[in-house]
Amino acid sequence: MYAIEAVNLTKKYGDFVANDNINLTIGKGEITAIVGENGAGKTTLMNMFFGLQRPTSGELLVNGKKVSFGSSLDAINCGLGMVHQHFKLVPSLTVFENILLGVEKNKKINISQKIKLKTPIINKNFEKKEVQKIIEDYKFELKADDIVENISIGAKQRVEILKMLYRNVDILIFDEPTAVLTPQEVDELLLSFKELKNQGKTIILITHKLREVMEVSDKVIVIKRGKVVGSKATKDTSSAEIAKMMVGREVILNVSKEDKDVSGNKVAYSVSKLSTRDNFGKKVIEDISFEIKEGEILGVAGVEGNGQSELVRVLSGLMESTEGSVRLYDKDITNKWPSSLRSAGIGIVPEDRYAQGLCKDMTIFENIIAGYHGNKKVCRNGILLKNEIENTSNKLIEKYDIRVAEKNGNVSQLSGGNAQKIIVAREFDSDPKVLIVSQPTRGVDIGSIEFIHNKILELRSENKAILLVSSELSEIMNLSDRIIVMYKGRIVGEVEGRKADSTEIGLLMAGLSLE
Amino acid sequence: MKKNNTLLKNIFNVLFPVISALILGGIIIAAIGENPFLTYSVMIKKSLFSLDGLLKTLHFAAPLILTGLAIAITFKANIFNMGVEGQAVLGAFFAGVVGFTVKGLPPVLHITLCVLTGIVVGMLFALIPALLKAYFNVNEMVVTLMLNYVVVEIVKFLSQGVFKDPASGYVSTYPIAESAMFKKIFGSNLTVFFFIALIVFGIMYIVFNKSKLGYEVKAIGKNPEFSEATGMNVSKKIIIIMLISGAISGLAGAGFLMSEKYRFTLDFSGSPGLGWDGMLIALLGSHNPVGILVAAVFYAALKTGSDYIGVFTNVPKDIVGVIQGILILLLSVKFFNEKFYLFEKVKLLWKKSSSTDFNK
Amino acid sequence: MSLLNNILYDMIYHSAPLILAVLGGLFAHKANVLNIGLEGMMLMGAFSSTLFVLITGNLWLGILISVLCTLVLGLIFSFFGITMKSNFIITGFGINIFVAALSSFVLKYMEMANINVSSIVNTAGLKISIPVIKDIPILNSLLSGHTAITYLSIILIAVVTVIMYNTKFGVYVRVVGENEEAARSVGINSAAIKYIAVLIGAALCGLAGANLAVERMALFTNNMTAGRGFIAIAAIYCGQAKPIKSAMYAILFGLAKSLAINLALFAGPASGLFEIVPYLMIVIVLFAVSAIEKRRTNIRGFKLE
Repeated sequence: MYAIEAVNLTKKYGDFVANDNINLTIGKGEITAIVGENGAGKTTLMNMFFGLQRPTSGELLVNGKKVSFGSSLDAINCGLGMVHQHFKLVPSLTVFENILLGVEKNKKINISQKIKLKTPIINKNFEKKEVQKIIEDYKFELKADDIVENISIGAKQRVEILKMLYRNVDILIFDEPTAVLTPQEVDELLLSFKELKNQGKTIILITHKLREVMEVSDKVIVIKRGKVVGSKATKDTSSAEIAKMMVGREVILNVSKEDKDVSGNKVAYSVSKLSTRDNFGKKVIEDISFEIKEGEILGVAGVEGNGQSELVRVLSGLMESTEGSVRLYDKDITNKWPSSLRSAGIGIVPEDRYAQGLCKDMTIFENIIAGYHGNKKVCRNGILLKNEIENTSNKLIEKYDIRVAEKNGNVSQLSGGNAQKIIVAREFDSDPKVLIVSQPTRGVDIGSIEFIHNKILELRSENKAILLVSSELSEIMNLSDRIIVMYKGRIVGEVEGRKADSTEIGLLMAGLSLE
Repeated sequence: MKKNNTLLKNIFNVLFPVISALILGGIIIAAIGENPFLTYSVMIKKSLFSLDGLLKTLHFAAPLILTGLAIAITFKANIFNMGVEGQAVLGAFFAGVVGFTVKGLPPVLHITLCVLTGIVVGMLFALIPALLKAYFNVNEMVVTLMLNYVVVEIVKFLSQGVFKDPASGYVSTYPIAESAMFKKIFGSNLTVFFFIALIVFGIMYIVFNKSKLGYEVKAIGKNPEFSEATGMNVSKKIIIIMLISGAISGLAGAGFLMSEKYRFTLDFSGSPGLGWDGMLIALLGSHNPVGILVAAVFYAALKTGSDYIGVFTNVPKDIVGVIQGILILLLSVKFFNEKFYLFEKVKLLWKKSSSTDFNK
Repeated sequence: MSLLNNILYDMIYHSAPLILAVLGGLFAHKANVLNIGLEGMMLMGAFSSTLFVLITGNLWLGILISVLCTLVLGLIFSFFGITMKSNFIITGFGINIFVAALSSFVLKYMEMANINVSSIVNTAGLKISIPVIKDIPILNSLLSGHTAITYLSIILIAVVTVIMYNTKFGVYVRVVGENEEAARSVGINSAAIKYIAVLIGAALCGLAGANLAVERMALFTNNMTAGRGFIAIAAIYCGQAKPIKSAMYAILFGLAKSLAINLALFAGPASGLFEIVPYLMIVIVLFAVSAIEKRRTNIRGFKLE
């Protein structure tokens, strides 16, 4: 008997088939890895397992019994728990309140030996003790009465796991659990996987990181474009083989980049001693200084949440710096607003595509002029020139190979890759002197990644200065001439792109060189 | 093809609430023992199916077009300027003050002066919430609402005090001078003010649909973070938008005073008031100038017609306000989505909210 | 009574409806439902309580029916706002305008300028003196000689605090407001929680209206709530929807009103202008609260709320 068995499981959204006749089995007490690219359909599959979405057709069997989940609660009652990539925690509540959410224990008043009156008041002391006990049972590093918003990301994840364990689940699904962790936290998590396995739990690990797969899993299932394309015991396969199955071709994610000497070039962009604080007065970036020369790509590496977002916000005029200065050639542009930055010649590809880069509910044309909509070419005396806008947009759509179904339609119809290309087209084609590029390929298909990487290198050969911020270490290492690493808001190290070594950068990212 | 579908959807989204509200209003009329069909037919006949009535309707539509536009430009930017009412009243009051204190000017000059006073007062008054919102992120809705009450008290104080016309039997300011009045054209109810409103409509049509500002208003309404990131300087734009809204509101009040009331009384703006009517009209017109024009005429017809229903029936004319309230309630919901699945939507609602279907 | 006593007594007197609306409104606010309809619900409470006291001839029956009326309004608001996912703000204003129009429509139909029930309700008799306290200076103005609903409003501050922080319902309301996904993932019916939150607000607004109209003055006049629902929203904003803090802001606004009334007596012809003091004070307090918040942040621009 299998822990989970899927028979011809299919999920459609309108015409789009997210999962196409999935057949797979998950062995009891095993760690099964489900791998695939972004958008391959892994998350949809897990959402069906966990009752968040209903299959269009097909069957799901848990412990040999056919199930049909109406909600995640049904799944939990069946012994299935899920730890989501985006934690489902309530920041202002304590650890124990989060773990017992939905199953609170009320105070009881003993009227006599037999009759106990249940009051509507929650018994917080009792809850706290109970949670502390289960924390100790599983040897987790946590304190029951910490407020969740104050604890680390790794600790939050442990709260999520305990939330499931408290509900007596024996199958645990982890959706991209390591995406937000430092390398050290990843190691700890992988250790606890083994511990949980020893206690008899079944684990499903959704990921696209092959190192973890090879290290902990017993079995690998590969999903591509909504279909199962491979299923093997981990000991019988290799990362290279899995990678090949994932993308269906040999991947060499190394873009060809010729080395060039920029030491004689002029400094185009320089940041000196930049700091800023968040709403709580904490310094989120501190004493950041770097220079970028013409024709150079400077990569910023780091685990997410170490100040990169804030750095980009400050540099793109969305956040004020409290100290320090920014210069474009010999012009001071410290704390300038976005409009002045753009007219000074700085192109910006923001971190969050749909929050800062695009307006989903506006048309492609309207998005493609954003930020440059005041330029003489498209706007005269305050009136927008419709024909000019359409012409320019059509040219860019062509040049950047943006695939649109309906040209007059909204951006929301576009896939992640094509939406990103709109921003890239807009910012790259405005002939900037300096480019600030943040997470350029997050959630983007492989074809678009290649395209965008090549465009970045093209601009490099046109002698533009480029700041590249990304949490994908491979992207940074492939493209950058120099790499700086951020940890807790500071620059903790700098390496030459050519000589970069992922272990060394990994250590820096974990803040280890500080000691 | 797709565009037609959207247009159809929008029309249905407006027609459905209008018809439902009229039916619900009819039920209320029936509940007090009156004939709803007679009531509605009186309303429409008197306001739309006679030349005199039609011109009167257009005359009353003029301030409504303006307050509708004033609300729409802010709502479209997702700024809730509830102060249109106060801005209109204050604009009207001071236009009136200039109208009766300044004497001996030729009509064109005097009218211009009064209108400008209304506009400037409206703008200045809108500037307070605008600055607070733009630079301190103070909730503009509460501020404008509170300032409306301040306006009510201030104009009450002034018209009971220094500007009170002792000759009048009730609280009222002096009437404005002849030279400050918008004259009726050829004895009809229409005045030049209606055409001024049309000109403003034309300008706003261009602003909404063709201009850089209109583009930015739309973007700010849909996604302020994106707008800031693409250099629209949202704070500055909020101030500009509020100033435009204030100017149009002030004009609406001043024009209404100079073309209809001729003196300021405490019930000048009516019940629930020009600004609130403007909110309904902006919603009915889906924040679109042409829609607003149509909605303003429709609503003016209801109001004009309601003056006559008392003659033929026992229905108080306040029924229009009741219908207005129901209509706003119904307009707050989009009943039809892209594919007209009204019932699908209702069905979905009864499903437990726990099963979230992600729109992927 | 001395001026100080008058000011203190009037402060509590004018705070009571505000406190009720604040306590009711903050559940919805915590659950992330902005209920602008508080004003209309309060007006409905005032209108229907007087109307049904007039019809039934019984004070408490009238108040009970008025609470039922506001609950119906609450249901309408919830259905539109939560079930049909409307624009809360516009639905709220729809409620406000509808109630204002409905009450004036009914008054016109009944050919009355206002509803006066002083022949049925003896307002002086509704004031309850508390033994012992009524003899202590200062405290007697604060805590004695008020009406039942006024006392209730003060007791409710404590009750709501306990509900919000120590019961399942309170925790769920906060969870739904903070992270709806988290609530759903453990099987909390977020829509039901929001409905209940709105309905509590509606019921308390009904009481607030009844207090304002029938219990104090035995009288209903058009638009007599005069923006108190919006003032309550401002108090909730300033108090970050924390029960005690928000209630304190409500009392602060009650104090402003009380000062305006009591000091206007000395102002002679300018006394009319004192009416604007409470409204202006709200603008100033909101400004102060927001300005402090704004100073702390280095982030530019606005986010979609």
